[in-house]
Amino acid sequence: MKPEKSKEKVFSRHLTGKAASEHLANFNKLLADLMGSSEGKPEVLDDTAVIEISEANFPALISASILGELGAEVIKVEPPDGDPARKVTQYGVNVDGIGIPFMMESRNKQHITLDLKTEKGIENLKKLITKADIVIDGMKPGFLDSLGVGYRQCVEQKLSLVYLAISPYGHFTAKGKACANIPDTDLTAQSESAYPFLTGNPQAPEPYNYPVKAGVWVASYMSGVLAVSGALTALLYKRKTGEGQMVDIASYDALTSWMGYSTIWGVNFRKPRMRVGNMDWNTFPYGYYEAKDGFVTIAAGADQDFRGFLKIFKRWDLENDWRFVFDRITDDLDKVKVLESEFKKEIMKNTRKEIVQKTIALSQKAAKDRLRGQGFPIAVETLSPREVLNEEHWKVRKSFLDVDAGGTKVKMPAPTPKLSATPLRLKRIECALGAHNKQVFTKYGLNE
Amino acid sequence: MNKDYFTFTDGLFDRSNISEKQQVFKGLRVLDFSHIIFGSIISKWLSMFGAEVIKIEEPYEGDAWRSATYWAKYWKDSSPFFQCLHWNKRFVGIDLKTQKGKELALDLAKKADVVVENFRAGLMEAWGLGYTTVSKTNPKVIYVSCSGYGQWGPLRFFPSWDLVAQSMSGVALLTGFDEKQTYKLPDFYGDFLPGIFGVMGTLSALHHRERTGKGQFLDVSQVEVLFRMMHHWSYMDITGEDLKSTGNVDPAMAPSGIFKTRDEQFVSIAIATDEQFTALLKAMNKMEIAQDPRFQETFERLKPANASEICNIVEVWVKRQQLSDIIALAQECGFPAAEVKNDLQIANDEWRRERGSVIEFEDDMYGKGTWPGSPVALEKTPVQFKSQQRPIGYHNQYIFQNVLNLSKDEIRALEKSHAIGYWGNCIGQRPPTYYDMSKDPIVNFTKGNEK
Repeated sequence: MKPEKSKEKVFSRHLTGKAASEHLANFNKLLADLMGSSEGKPEVLDDTAVIEISEANFPALISASILGELGAEVIKVEPPDGDPARKVTQYGVNVDGIGIPFMMESRNKQHITLDLKTEKGIENLKKLITKADIVIDGMKPGFLDSLGVGYRQCVEQKLSLVYLAISPYGHFTAKGKACANIPDTDLTAQSESAYPFLTGNPQAPEPYNYPVKAGVWVASYMSGVLAVSGALTALLYKRKTGEGQMVDIASYDALTSWMGYSTIWGVNFRKPRMRVGNMDWNTFPYGYYEAKDGFVTIAAGADQDFRGFLKIFKRWDLENDWRFVFDRITDDLDKVKVLESEFKKEIMKNTRKEIVQKTIALSQKAAKDRLRGQGFPIAVETLSPREVLNEEHWKVRKSFLDVDAGGTKVKMPAPTPKLSATPLRLKRIECALGAHNKQVFTKYGLNE
Repeated sequence: MNKDYFTFTDGLFDRSNISEKQQVFKGLRVLDFSHIIFGSIISKWLSMFGAEVIKIEEPYEGDAWRSATYWAKYWKDSSPFFQCLHWNKRFVGIDLKTQKGKELALDLAKKADVVVENFRAGLMEAWGLGYTTVSKTNPKVIYVSCSGYGQWGPLRFFPSWDLVAQSMSGVALLTGFDEKQTYKLPDFYGDFLPGIFGVMGTLSALHHRERTGKGQFLDVSQVEVLFRMMHHWSYMDITGEDLKSTGNVDPAMAPSGIFKTRDEQFVSIAIATDEQFTALLKAMNKMEIAQDPRFQETFERLKPANASEICNIVEVWVKRQQLSDIIALAQECGFPAAEVKNDLQIANDEWRRERGSVIEFEDDMYGKGTWPGSPVALEKTPVQFKSQQRPIGYHNQYIFQNVLNLSKDEIRALEKSHAIGYWGNCIGQRPPTYYDMSKDPIVNFTKGNEK
């Protein structure tokens, strides 16, 4: 792959001159390697064995999947009739009985079945756990402990492993105990994290004025990756000291405590934020607006960026009243709506492409300005997933893979981020129930 | 063995002796060129667990996020939203546009284990501070470059924000009731999720370095991270159809939705499995529905007509219940249900205080406060709070003397040539008005004179 040289849209006055181009040439060499094949490169966790025991627990599935991408040997343990998460899928769409979310998060895993209602099943699980570096417990808190294979027994047997517990309310505290019976879903996790309360339009008719759920699994993915990060942190400690430990994620809490804004707002304002429709609490404009042929996204952080839009729309008459960010914040919603209606009108006069081109032209010119006083407004087309797939950039980056999932090719997002020395990989999706019973049972000497 | 499981685990995560526990990243040095959220949240993870994070800012200018706050409300002349990203960090003011400033940053990079930046792609390279330069003198370095679209490809120089990334990834049109009314994911999700993927990548690079002694380069793209969490690609591929916004219904769970209770509260219920469905029917006292072939089995229940039918039944039921009764039934019977909480409830939540995800802290400069804490609980190496944000250049003396072994005279010369500098007297940059800087031991630090 050759680095593309000409025609790149450059938005900085620093990216010019001979010194810069030399640096970029070196950089492009590095990037060609980064984007190239991962063959022959090492895998970070090829010395790590992971046992995932979970039931209808997507944060657990996701975290195990990412550990698999990092090269760990991941064995997913399921009951003989399968993890019910297999069937959790949009409108019931499935491939041979396996739903989309489960398939997508079974990356590089081995799937085995153990009947934990029998002594033999429990004995087999015990054997596996003694060989593990990371155990992912995505069952009801206390369930594995009651079988004699929980963290407490690991400590008693002096096993030094990372025990990653993932549950809605966590494996400790009084509330964790009281709510141990409540299972995880993305929607309920969003709600307990105060996330839908921030989205929506209170002026709309019922029920469209309700808090609105995020349309993607914001909570499950945030919890899953936080869990991996917690496990990798604990595993580093284990590499240094030989000591294992327990790591606990509450999936009903992780989203809000990582983002933190709800706590800050609640503490400082002593009242909850109310929903502000398409506006933002921080600045204006920062949202989606309808153009002639669809939506555009426009964002202006600083005052000069806002003025940039006034120039683009040739609406300098608005400048005097809305000069400062303090004029444009939503503490007085009705007031800002006046400005918003002007913006809506102006945007509606253009097509998506026109808005974007005008904005890019202004920003590129402004980027050359020494003092940056010209502003740096941003506008992009608000793309649908289907439009995204047509974007050349992601083809160049190989951001989507067509993966063989049990005989059917299925499009999936590639592992991310990209690492130059130890790339993450999606090697296989083999998630038929008990697909790896034979090889895992033989390798670890389990009883059939 | 007879001890209750939760008594055992409560002991493991006891927060009373937290400051006596180990810090996993003690001795790890992180050089942080990042601004706003995306890069800053990656270095925050490392600083929460004990790394020495040195944040480099432009003197008298600083991170633009210092002055950005919701509703333009400040706390002790600082933005609480900047504060919460900058725990336990050190703050130096270096003007990277000057030659001396660049050299200084490269000297620091030579002694760093991790470098984080989130300028537009290629900018650090053009400045001569990129991976190709730093790795020449420090081959062990882990260099984390964060950007909207990645460092490679036709879009790479295009600017990005959280919201722009949401639009370029296709997430933007998926939240809301119909295509004409679409909402963004609030609170900069497009920064925080890419941030935690960046953390995961950085930690994996640290593992590689622990095993082999080798560093590497990371390319974290906001938009690609958002791709990674979407089921839409596979759905479109398998069905040939689009998966559009669905309001408050999760199309992967039936019934599911946000409903209004008799006491005018909002509750969300989502049923993932047959077992949970039976539990809900038991709670609703409607076991006869269990026999209905439309609802018996998960795939059947998820078909749009059946899903909407069962959602309606649940909606009617919820309207006749009190919120507290529904939550009690969820605990008793075992189905997923949760109140739609608000900011104030999160801030006041006793459970979150016990978990350490909301913490009370005391800082030398800012005094007492309540802050979002740790999203994960680690038994032996927990997150530890040490300090809040500091003004730009607050640690200049401390870092340049300790890390680079510069003398006071050398530092003075750098100040005179404007290669390094301090905070300006504006909100977000300056210390709280009551604070007496002349008595501060770090700002007036002299090596060898420590108490």
